[in-house]
Amino acid sequence: MTGISALKINDLHKSFGQHEVIKGVSMEANKGDVIAILGASGSGKSTFLRCINLLETPNSGDVFLAGEKIEMKQNRHGETVPANIRQVERMRARLAMVFQGFNLWSHMTVMENVLEGPVHVQKTPRAEAREKAEALLAKVGLSDRADYYPAHLSGGQQQRVAIARALAMDPDVMLFDEPTSALDPELVGEVLSVMRDLAEEGRTMLVVTHEMSFARDVSSKTVFLHKGEVCEEGPPAKLFSNPETEQFRAFLSRMN
Amino acid sequence: MENILSYIPLDISLIAENFDRFLYGVWTTLNLTVLALVFGGLLAIPMAIARASRHRVLSPLVWGYTYVLRGTPLLVQTYLIYYGLGQFEAVRQSWLWDPILSSAWWCALIAFTLNTSAYTAELLRGAIVDTPKGEVEAAIATGHSYGLRMRRIILPSAFRRAIPAYSNEVIFMLHGSVVASTITLQDILGVGRWLNGRYYLAYEGFITAAFLYFLIVFAITRVFRWIERRYLRHLTRRETTTATEMTPEPTR
Ligand SMILES: Nc1ncnc2c1ncn2[C@@H]1O[C@H](COP(=O)(O)OP(=O)(O)OP(=O)(O)O)[C@@H](O)[C@H]1O
Ligand SMILES: [Mg+2]
Repeated sequence: MTGISALKINDLHKSFGQHEVIKGVSMEANKGDVIAILGASGSGKSTFLRCINLLETPNSGDVFLAGEKIEMKQNRHGETVPANIRQVERMRARLAMVFQGFNLWSHMTVMENVLEGPVHVQKTPRAEAREKAEALLAKVGLSDRADYYPAHLSGGQQQRVAIARALAMDPDVMLFDEPTSALDPELVGEVLSVMRDLAEEGRTMLVVTHEMSFARDVSSKTVFLHKGEVCEEGPPAKLFSNPETEQFRAFLSRMN
Repeated sequence: MENILSYIPLDISLIAENFDRFLYGVWTTLNLTVLALVFGGLLAIPMAIARASRHRVLSPLVWGYTYVLRGTPLLVQTYLIYYGLGQFEAVRQSWLWDPILSSAWWCALIAFTLNTSAYTAELLRGAIVDTPKGEVEAAIATGHSYGLRMRRIILPSAFRRAIPAYSNEVIFMLHGSVVASTITLQDILGVGRWLNGRYYLAYEGFITAAFLYFLIVFAITRVFRWIERRYLRHLTRRETTTATEMTPEPTR
């Protein structure tokens, strides 16, 4: 399948101290791809995702967003750092992230959370941003909660606000780090259903998840990380029905 | 009424006669305290940001400043500025001397401002570093620059969380402002001292002063309670557990 490359990661390495957590991972997402990233706890899924938008600084490897490379350089201590923080900020604005713990800005209402990025980062006129924010809140089913503070919402509602906040930036790629893991079981469905809609619309998404059904039914490609390396990857139909490695088989049997 | 008053072992009429002096004292106390809080607060913001940063020069520099100012009594700081600086010929010759450093009011204001700026900076620093890490990361991931996330996310959140501790600082500063009366100023306590000295009274002046301070503190607490209710609403947990039953927190 060839398409327009939305996001490309080349041979990414990341260590914390002596401990190498990501050992050369490459990945490419074309426009409209939904890549599900699976792996046991501690396999480096979050770290990998956080290296893409430089919440963690990778030790080496390249990230390309729609063909544009995020430039890195060595500082005088020999550490890899962004060459141009403005470029990184620009890239981050195009790479929305949805966190396991929602991370809504607690002193802002739902509406203010959704408006923050468009108005203050992208400098969209407020009226225009507001109109769009209202549409997005309707889309995630929270029109009537616009004036609530995050602490006054359920976890599922907060995560849907976080998704609306991410969408408000009109991102090229959306990064999800276990978006349903912090939710009570009965609230998982409402968030997954919003994510399914996004996939259907053709959003490019990288989704770290423990929801096997989401990976199997929604992803266009599934990647299994094991100890910081890509252990197995491919179309979910093939991967789930016919796991090739012992590690992935063991993982699947633990998940089911 | 007359009879009741005669049982109170206080010379009420003397207090009443000098009430306008006490009002003037209230004015002096309030304007010193409020101005010190305003200027000290404004100084504290950049200092708190510097302290919370990992800047190799600014952070330890501000730490030293707050350490010294919080480690010495306000009375001593005020004396050093009022009596101490005047010892230097150069200071007395400089342009700062005439309108400012020779005036007790200005010296008190400077001492109070520096003092409250140190306490407020530390208090704000604490609130800044306590900003939930995830909220800061969400701002970084959205593309906020350092300055933008400080202005839009970290400070607004930190200011709110600092309100309860800051209300204490305001009361401490008010109480600390009695130091003004030791350098000739007629603040509330200054008027009390004057009254006692003038009429050889034991405590009429002090009782009145205590009562006035108490009233001001009472007003301050009320104001802060209102502010907390308005600006800390977002931190109160919802009362019901099901989302559908929820209504926005009522403003009590
Ligand atoms: N900031 C950090 N400092 C040191 N070690 C870290 C840090 N963040 C992660 N690690 C380590 O890196 C490894 C990978 O962590 P990571 O959070 O990426 O795993 P994960 O696959 O997301 O796991 P989970 O499913 O539990 O979220 C773990 O061993 C973890 O202890
Ligand atoms: Mg994780």
